[in-house]
Amino acid sequence: MKTRLPWRCNLRDGRFRMLAGAILLVLTALVVPPLPLTRDGVQVLAVVDITGSMNVRDYSASGQPQSRLEAAKAALRHLLAGLPCGSRFALGLFTERRPFLLFAPVEVCDGFAPIDGALAALDWRMAWEADSRVSAGLYRAVEMAAEIGTDLVFITDGQEAPPLPRGQTPPFEGRPGAVRGLIVGAGGYALAPIPKFSDRGREIGFYAESEVQQENRFGPPPADAESREGYNPRNAPFGAAAAQGSEHLSSVREDHLKDLANRTGLAYAHLDGPASLDAPLRAAATARPVPGRFDLRPFLGATALLLVLAAFTAAPFGALSGRLTPRKA
Amino acid sequence: MSALLADLVRFGAERPTLLWLLPLALLPLAATPRRRTPFADLAAAPPDALSRGLAAALGAAGCLAVAALVIGISGPYRTGERITRTGIGAEVSMLIDRSGSMNETFAGRQPSGAEESKAAASRRILGDFVGSRAHDLFAVTAFSTAPMLVLPMTDRHAAVRAAIAAIDRPGLDYTNVARGLALALGQFGAASGDASRVLLLVSDGAAVIDPRVQETLRAAFAKIRPNLYWLFLRTKGSPGIADRPAGEDTPQAAPERHLDLFFKSLGVPYRAFEAEGPEAVAAAIREIEGLERDPIPYVELRPRRDLAGWAYGLAVFGLTLLILAKLAEVDLAQGRAAPPARRSERRMAA
Repeated sequence: MKTRLPWRCNLRDGRFRMLAGAILLVLTALVVPPLPLTRDGVQVLAVVDITGSMNVRDYSASGQPQSRLEAAKAALRHLLAGLPCGSRFALGLFTERRPFLLFAPVEVCDGFAPIDGALAALDWRMAWEADSRVSAGLYRAVEMAAEIGTDLVFITDGQEAPPLPRGQTPPFEGRPGAVRGLIVGAGGYALAPIPKFSDRGREIGFYAESEVQQENRFGPPPADAESREGYNPRNAPFGAAAAQGSEHLSSVREDHLKDLANRTGLAYAHLDGPASLDAPLRAAATARPVPGRFDLRPFLGATALLLVLAAFTAAPFGALSGRLTPRKA
Repeated sequence: MSALLADLVRFGAERPTLLWLLPLALLPLAATPRRRTPFADLAAAPPDALSRGLAAALGAAGCLAVAALVIGISGPYRTGERITRTGIGAEVSMLIDRSGSMNETFAGRQPSGAEESKAAASRRILGDFVGSRAHDLFAVTAFSTAPMLVLPMTDRHAAVRAAIAAIDRPGLDYTNVARGLALALGQFGAASGDASRVLLLVSDGAAVIDPRVQETLRAAFAKIRPNLYWLFLRTKGSPGIADRPAGEDTPQAAPERHLDLFFKSLGVPYRAFEAEGPEAVAAAIREIEGLERDPIPYVELRPRRDLAGWAYGLAVFGLTLLILAKLAEVDLAQGRAAPPARRSERRMAA
């Protein structure tokens, strides 16, 4: 016996239309190419302070104390992994009074393994001098970033060693804001002892007060020198007593770093865990368009899935809406 | 079995959390997109195998469609492979002098006009060397007072060229070659097997190697056995490698000569090139290139394969069955269909 199918009724059925819509969406997903679009990449020079105070262990990772340098490395590696392809990354070290460029900008996807390896290998033992003239180093890092055409991420704890003469920050001679980027303050807010290493690189305790220059006694003496005990304009222009202070302990010098950020037109961020650099850098860096692709398929697929689920769950509602009463035959 | 497991772990998803939606694929077992028709007595329709089979097939089609869509939107892929092949090349660990004197010309002056500093010349020539052969691996170490690891051993030649591009920037203080040698030796991977290993020292001077460090270095050279090349960028008028000093022949008086003697005593293949100008540097590099022609294992990366297309294809298959069933529905309530409904209300019928 022949059964005539109710075509018109079947085609009008809402659930049929949902399924048909779903299959159309999925078929589109199978053929649609990814949309080309431009993404915001960055080109950045990261300069890492590797002076002694960066060995202070005032961070912690997985329950273990972690040095500022290790925390900075972890943050940079996290940052590197999140940069869109086409971004470029250059790496430099800072110690003494100048940055030292390890490598010029490298594309981050093709060069991920070597850049990540170079970041992992950063070590305080690479330092060629023990001084830490942060402001001089920062100013020259800004110049270097301008030369190679990148933004700057400068990671330091801001501790000047030796201390700045008379506590005065040297002037910045470049144009503030010409190079964009970020000064990152590494370290906790409480004073912590600085580890000391032997000439063979073994840790042998912490610096004591008398082992560190507490006051910069080069150049003219400060204004209050005359009131110091044992002051003599010729023989003891800084007073007779040895300088005392807390330069052998270290905390992040945020005021100094924020002042430097103001002078150079950079932004300031505090290093606070591996993911703490991503958002501040995105906000501070110049957006450089890099080609990207936008995959439409997940959206088409998700809509299709919703339609299919709707088709399946519509049945009870359809059944409730009046068709429970059999029509007259 | 383990091969199968190894194959299984290579599957992954870009948005794995979406896979938690997979239980939704059970929904077709409980609900149907087909019309529901009241039927006076289910017993009136005798159970038949075809109806049951169709019901099961359509239920499975529904499960398949939902599951395939969930997997599709989670972005499934098969991870890429690393295939080891053999090419011609060498593992080259470059140890580059970044002391301040490298920024002077071969005549020992500050470069002016068209003159090229030693650093700029080595940058240009080493830059050409990197990438001239596809399968060389490079590591870059710089040294002055302290050694600095610039790049670990890598086959990414663009990154190596970027590291070499940085070597004509102002240099640092002194030439402390011993620690640099130790770090550069450390760059040869233990797993590189029988690839030819090259330690290329580029410097314009030498330094006394502490006798205690000498022993450590000797042991490291004996273990790693690299071919050692010393590209000595000699400044005009300064003592050469072979020159004996006029007075006492001590390492302090003639560090270049004594470094050369130390290298010769290591028992590894060693050659020194004394270059007094950019052309001589280029000739030395060409010669090294010609000498190092051994097979080297290199890794070829197969990109990962996107499997979303397969998932969407399966979803299309399941949806097609559902749609066909939907089109073949009869409406019992309309009373047009006669005997036991086949396709339409199997679920009710069963």
